Amino acid sequence: MQTEIDPNEPIKVDKQPRKKKKNDAVVGYLLVAPALILILAISIWPVIQSFYFSLFDLQLNEPTKSEVHLDYQIDLDRYLQNFPFLVGAIDSEINKGNSSEELTAIKSTLENLDAGIQEKPEAQENYDTINEKLDNFENIPSDMKYIEIDESVAEDFTTSVKEINDDLKTINENGDLEQGDKIVGLSSALTEIVVEPNFIGLDHYKENLTDQRMWRSLWNTSVFTFISVLAELILGLAIALLINKAFLGRGLIRASILIPWAIPTAVAALMWKFLYDGQNGIVAKLFEDFGLIDRMAMLLTTDTGAMFSVIFADVWKTTPYMALLLLAGLQTIPSSLYEAASIDGANKWKQFVTITVPLLKSSLLVALLFRTLDAFRVFDLVYVLTGGGPANSTETISMLAYTLMFKQTNFGEGSAISVVVFICVAIISGIFIKLLGSELIKDGSGK
Amino acid sequence: MNKKAGPMFYVFLVVFVFLVMFPFLWMLASSIKPLSELFGDKAFNPFTSNPTLQNYVSVFVDYPFMRYLWNSTVVATITTVYTVLVASFAAYAIARLNFKGKPIILGVVLSVSMFPQVATISPIYMFLKNLGLTNSYLGLIIPYTTITLPLSIWLLVTFFRKIPFDLEEAARIDGATLWQTYWKVIMPLAVPGIFTTAILVFIAAWNEFLFALTINTADKFKTVPVGIALFQGQFTIPWGEISAATVVVTVPLVIMVLIFQRRIVSGLTSGSVKE
Repeated sequence: MQTEIDPNEPIKVDKQPRKKKKNDAVVGYLLVAPALILILAISIWPVIQSFYFSLFDLQLNEPTKSEVHLDYQIDLDRYLQNFPFLVGAIDSEINKGNSSEELTAIKSTLENLDAGIQEKPEAQENYDTINEKLDNFENIPSDMKYIEIDESVAEDFTTSVKEINDDLKTINENGDLEQGDKIVGLSSALTEIVVEPNFIGLDHYKENLTDQRMWRSLWNTSVFTFISVLAELILGLAIALLINKAFLGRGLIRASILIPWAIPTAVAALMWKFLYDGQNGIVAKLFEDFGLIDRMAMLLTTDTGAMFSVIFADVWKTTPYMALLLLAGLQTIPSSLYEAASIDGANKWKQFVTITVPLLKSSLLVALLFRTLDAFRVFDLVYVLTGGGPANSTETISMLAYTLMFKQTNFGEGSAISVVVFICVAIISGIFIKLLGSELIKDGSGK
Repeated sequence: MNKKAGPMFYVFLVVFVFLVMFPFLWMLASSIKPLSELFGDKAFNPFTSNPTLQNYVSVFVDYPFMRYLWNSTVVATITTVYTVLVASFAAYAIARLNFKGKPIILGVVLSVSMFPQVATISPIYMFLKNLGLTNSYLGLIIPYTTITLPLSIWLLVTFFRKIPFDLEEAARIDGATLWQTYWKVIMPLAVPGIFTTAILVFIAAWNEFLFALTINTADKFKTVPVGIALFQGQFTIPWGEISAATVVVTVPLVIMVLIFQRRIVSGLTSGSVKE
């Protein structure tokens, strides 16, 4: 690249950096865009959707409630797998002269209902496409499956179908029909194809706020978070202070500290489950021998025992990590400060209070923030170690959300709980960030 | 840093390391015990007189453990490569280029890293289910972005900022384009930081549990943490096999940590300490 500088045109020289700056901004946004789009799509959007889901009675194992429905709809897929066969079966009975009078009346009602469904042009279109796909044994795309219908049509449909179903049952009981059971079966399937809106507003929240299980799990989570983070902080700080000196084998210590942090929590939980075992667990045995517990089995079968076990395992796994973060903070404090203080006659405690604590404050708060949030959303440790038991005494709020969603397939209520978790986490981080000031984000950007 | 360590200090260190490592040592000792010595009186005896490798054989023969290891490796590797790539672009821009809104972007990244996974799981699960992506590698790689992308952007921004600005300016004054500056000047200097980030992302993806548990329920696609956790049957827990599996998972990690400890520590502490 060649740049000619003409002394008669000083503006050009001035212009170039500005152009470059603008170029910088464009490139900057372009480079950030993919990451931001991914974060928006995979993290932020789902949180918003979780809140949206929590306003619905969403249950995965019930076909009519497995999706979010704001309007009355008809499940065309199911409808078309039943309706034509029902009409066909009725026809053949009429042809054979079995209760033909009643059946003809029923058939005409059914045909009227069918016409009602096909009334709207877009409904007609979906209707035909799905019919064709069913004939070819193809899969029905889920966005075509449902068509909206008016509330009046829906109510009309529901009542008529119910009547027809009852009528057919009576006719069948009289024993006139050849394929009576099949006809009744098909017609009762028709009563399940109208999908009512499952929007329930804030009902899940109302229920949960008065639900003991929710409060208990929130309490368990808070107890777990508070005690384990406090213990980790005290132990971690003590260890960091002790090993903040020159000694042989620093690398070995650092590596051994990192191992509990590096192994999967689920694996750590399983190890502790073995060590706590009421019959063969060595840690349970040692605790019993030292008189900390009366019986070995108490660790995992009593409420307090189980909570203690979970906290103890967590402290084992994360104290070293805490110590590491604090040690890094300690190492940034210049030793000249301590020297000056000791010349001035300040004792160790005074040095700790006046030098270490204030200078360590921001590393301490950052470490506390991340640990608190991590502890508050604890799931795998509890899931593997106690399964939330005994009698839900160690069930944390994340466990409760998981149980509701994936054990009871109640996604609406589970989403409501996960929104509660989200709000709690937001409050906790809000408090910490207020304490930290804007240090967290500013850190380094001014350099 | 000025204090010298006395002999008492080393005693303390040995005790400390022993306590931290005790669960592993016990698992190691248990993994070579025959079944009869895992229960009853001999269960509390650390050493066995009849060591056996039966548990290790069983882990690979009776359980699809090899499959779990493979699944975890595939998922964690792909997640690491793609998030670190995407994050390095974003981090470079945030750390090095001038444009408006950088504090907001960093704020968003930081808040997202604090999101509880459980708050995103129901929509993500429904989304993946509708696309038929449950029980697939992609089904885990996609949601892992939530965890790994903010983490890697955060770490990489810190690393990129540490590279002296003079070098870049010099390159650009010499007429290098932005792209050339990035690949020829910044990248070589950023390799250690990128490598550190990759290690941390890999560990995070390897250890993830909640998404792996809910999204990939078929044995064929389970990852190691979920696979091991579900070793336990309804009524019996095969402790021998679990000990062996734990050792198999932990030993590579111990080796990795021993080799990369310096990098891991610098990564872990980079966000929290002003240097």
